[in-house]
Amino acid sequence: MNRGSLSLARPADHPALTPGRLGALLALLAGLVGVLGLAAGSEGWSWAWAEDRALIQAIRAPRTLGALAAGALLGLAGALAQGLFRNPLADPFLLGSAAGAGLGVVLVLAAGSVLAAHLAWQPLGWLSQSGVVLAAFVGALGGVALTLLLAGGAARPLKLLLCGVVVGVLMGAVSDLLLMASPEALRGRQMFLLGTTGFLGWTALAWLAGALVLALPLALRFARVLDALVLGDASAASLGLSLPRLRLLLVALMALATGTAVSQAGLVGFVGLVAPHLVRRLVTVTHGPLLLLSAAAGAVLLGAADVAARSVIAPQELPVGVLTALFGGVYLLVLLRRQGSGA
Amino acid sequence: MNRDAMLPLADTALLQAEGLGLVLGGRRVVDQVSLALAPGQWAALVGPNGAGKSSLLSLLAGLKLPDAGRVLLDGRPLADWPARARGQRLAWLSQQGEADGELAGADVVGLGRLPHQGLFGAPSAADAAAVQAAMAETASAAFAQRRLSALSGGERQRVLLARALAVQAPVLLLDEPTTHLDAPHQCALVRSLVQRARAGCAVLAVLHDLNLALAADRLLVLHQGRLVADGPPADAAVRQRLVAVFDNAFSVEGLATAGGTRWVAVPAL
Amino acid sequence: MRWCRAVWLAWAVLPASAAITVTDDRGQALTLPQPAQRIVSLLPSLTEGLCALQACDRLVGVDRFSNWPAQVRQLPQLGGLEDTTIERLVRLQPDLVVAAVSARALGRLQALGIPVLALEPKSLADTRRVLDVLAQAIGKPGEGERLWAQIDQGVNAAAARVPPALRGQTVYFEVASAPYAAGASSFVGELLTRLQLVNVVPAAMGPFPKLNPEFVLRAQPAIVMATARAVAEMPGRPGWSALKALQAGRSCGFAEARYEMLVRPGPRLAEAAGLIADCLVTLDGRKP
Repeated sequence: MNRGSLSLARPADHPALTPGRLGALLALLAGLVGVLGLAAGSEGWSWAWAEDRALIQAIRAPRTLGALAAGALLGLAGALAQGLFRNPLADPFLLGSAAGAGLGVVLVLAAGSVLAAHLAWQPLGWLSQSGVVLAAFVGALGGVALTLLLAGGAARPLKLLLCGVVVGVLMGAVSDLLLMASPEALRGRQMFLLGTTGFLGWTALAWLAGALVLALPLALRFARVLDALVLGDASAASLGLSLPRLRLLLVALMALATGTAVSQAGLVGFVGLVAPHLVRRLVTVTHGPLLLLSAAAGAVLLGAADVAARSVIAPQELPVGVLTALFGGVYLLVLLRRQGSGA
Repeated sequence: MNRDAMLPLADTALLQAEGLGLVLGGRRVVDQVSLALAPGQWAALVGPNGAGKSSLLSLLAGLKLPDAGRVLLDGRPLADWPARARGQRLAWLSQQGEADGELAGADVVGLGRLPHQGLFGAPSAADAAAVQAAMAETASAAFAQRRLSALSGGERQRVLLARALAVQAPVLLLDEPTTHLDAPHQCALVRSLVQRARAGCAVLAVLHDLNLALAADRLLVLHQGRLVADGPPADAAVRQRLVAVFDNAFSVEGLATAGGTRWVAVPAL
Repeated sequence: MRWCRAVWLAWAVLPASAAITVTDDRGQALTLPQPAQRIVSLLPSLTEGLCALQACDRLVGVDRFSNWPAQVRQLPQLGGLEDTTIERLVRLQPDLVVAAVSARALGRLQALGIPVLALEPKSLADTRRVLDVLAQAIGKPGEGERLWAQIDQGVNAAAARVPPALRGQTVYFEVASAPYAAGASSFVGELLTRLQLVNVVPAAMGPFPKLNPEFVLRAQPAIVMATARAVAEMPGRPGWSALKALQAGRSCGFAEARYEMLVRPGPRLAEAAGLIADCLVTLDGRKP
C-alpha cells in the first residue's frame, strides 16, 4: 500500500532545489519584502526614503519587521504542530490557543465596557489597549494549558487533539456569552479574528523577536524528536526517548510561539498551515532544517501579505488575515486539483 | 559488518521473561509466558490471529508494562534500565502501520542510531557506517534520498528493517518483518537474521509465513496468550502442537535436502 | 474708539497663549501647548461635536463612519473604528486625535508621541461632559456649556410638543433584530424618558439587553420604535402579530439616515428628540 496517495500532496522532488538553495531563496524573498515594506506607504509606493524618513523609522520599519517576525513564529509553530501530530494539515491553533486568545480579548474588552456601564466612568480604559495584547497572550497559553490538563499531559496525541477541540468549543461558547453582555466588544473581537499588522510598533517587534530568539533555537535542538515520531510512538520510545516529557516541551514551545504572534497580530490564519506544508512539498529534509525553513517561509508569507494589505487599495488597508486566507485557500485548491488529476 | 560490536557479554540468555501476563480490555492477552532468548539462535514466534504475539513482543521490548511477571535484560529487570541504555541493547521493529512521513530513507535509517547518539548527539563516522551497512543488508540503499511516503510497501518495509538493524543491538525483536516483502526479499531477510544470530545476537521474529518460521532455530508457539510449544522444529512434539494450534489446517512435512531436513507446511485442502 | 474695539476683537479671536490641560474618559490628563488646530476624529459622535463647536475647519481627518455634516465626507478617511490606518493619520500631522476609549489605535498613537483624547459618550451626561472637554481642547472653554444649553433647550422643546395623550405611554425601542432593545439606561432610553415615555425595558436590565421576544409580547408596549425596515418585518416574526401596537399601526419606523441621529450621542440630540416628537405627533394625529 503506497501511503503517498493518501497524503494531500504528492511531493514533487525538485532535484535542483536543495534545502540550502531554498533557504537562500527565502532569505532573498524576505529581504525583498523588507524593502517593499519600507516603500509601501499610505499614499502608494514611495521610494523617496529621505523625505519619509520619520515615517519609515516610526511606522513602516517596525511594521514590516514585525510582520516578518510574526510570520516566522507562526511558520515555526505550524511546523511543530504538523510534526507533533504527524498530520500535514495540522495548524498551530489546534490545541485551544486560538480560542483562548479570543476569549482573553473578549474578556478584557467586555470588562472595560461592563465596568464602565455600571460605574459610569472608564477607569480601566488602558485595559482596552495594552491589556488586549496581554490578555490574548495569557489566553492563548491558558487555552493550551487547559487542553494539557484535560488530556492528562502530552502522552497521547489523539487525546490531546480531542481535548483541544473541546477546549476550543467551550471557550468559544463562553466568549459568545460575554459578547451578549457587552456587544461593544464585538467590534474589537471581529478585528482580532481578522488579524491586523497595522499596530505593530517597536515594542511589539521586541516581543515578537524575543519570542523567536527563545523558541527557534530550542525547537531546533529538539527537532530530532519530531523525526523519531515519524516511526510512530512505540518505535520512538524503543529508541530511548521519553515521549510524554519531550512532547510537552514541544507543545509548550508551540504555544509560546503562537501566543506571542497572535497577541500582537491577531488570529492570522493559514500561515502556520501553508508555510511548513509548502516547504515539505519542495524539499526533503529532516525536522531541523524544516523548522528553520518553515519559519523563513512563514515570515515571507505574512510579510508579503502585510505589504499587499497596505498597497492594494491604498490609502485604505485590507485586514491581513483576509489575504492570508485567500492565499491559503487558493493553495489548497491547487493541491486538491493536482491530487485529483495526478495521484 | 563489525562482528565484534555484537558479541554478547556472556553466553547466558540475553533476554529472559518470567511468568509474563498482560490484561487488555478485560481479556488476558498474555498468560504466564516464560522464555529465554540466548545469543546465537534465531527464534520464530507463531500463533493464530489474536494469540497475543504482538503484545508479547511489546512486553519483551519494555514498551508495555506487564500485569504479572517481569523481563530481564542482561540479567537486570527491564524496569531498571534507563531508556537510552535499553535502546542500545534491544531493537524493536513494529508491525507495519505507523510509519509514514516525508523523511528521506537514509534519515529514517539514521534514527536507528539515536540510542547511541543521544537526542543532541551529532552523527559520527561509526553511525554513518552502520547506516550504510544496514541499508546494504536490506537492499534499500537506492532509497537513501527518497521519501518514505513515496516508496512502495515493500520498499518502505526494507527501510524500516534497516532502521532496526542499524541499532546494532544484541537483541532483535521484530514484529512481522516480512510484511509486504516479496519472496526474494523475504529470503534475504531470513538470511540476514541467521547471520546476526550466528554473530552472537538473540533474534526473535513474529512470522506469519509458517514455511519461513519452520526454518528457524527455535519455534515458539503462542495460543490464546499461552506459550504452548518452545523448541526446535526438529522436535516432533513442537510440530504437533503447531498443527493443533492451527486447527489442523495444514500438515508439516519434512523434505530431505542437501543441507538436512527442511520442514514445510502443506495446507490441508 | 474703533481701534479699541479692534484690539479687543483681535485679542478675543487670537488663540489663547496659555497651555491647556484636559482630562479624557480614561482619567488621563493631556496638556496641549495651544488649542488644537489640526484634529483627527475617529468617532462619528466626536466629529459631530467638533463641527457643532464651529471647529469643523480644524478637522484634517475622520474615520470611515463619520458622515455629518456633509463637508467631513471630503476629508481623508482613516479606516473604521478598529482598523485605523496609522501611517495615513501620521502624515496628516495632527496635533490632537480624539477617539473612542476602546480604539486599538490609541496605544500605537501614544507610542508615536501623538496627543490623544479618549472620549466615548454613552449617556446624556456623557455628551455634556465630552462637549465640554472638546471645547476646552479647541480653546473655547465656555462653548461646550453654551452648546449644551442650546441642546437641552431643544430637547425640552421637543418634550413640550409630545401630545398629552401619549405622555406616560410605554415604548419599545429596538436597536437590532435579535432583538436587542435600548433600555432605559441607554442614551436613547434617556431621550425617551425626557420625552415622558416609559421604557418597557427597565434600567436594571442594562443599556442594550438581548431580549426574549416573549418579554416584548408580555409587555405589550403602546408604541414600537425601530428602523423602518425592522418595523416592516416585525409582524412577520412568530407571535409578533399579536402586538397591539403593530396592529394599530402605532409604530415609528425611522429611515436609516435619520436613525443614525438617534444612536449617536452627539450634538444632534435636540434634532433626534425632535424626530421622535414628530413621530409621536403623527401617531396622535392618526387617532380617530
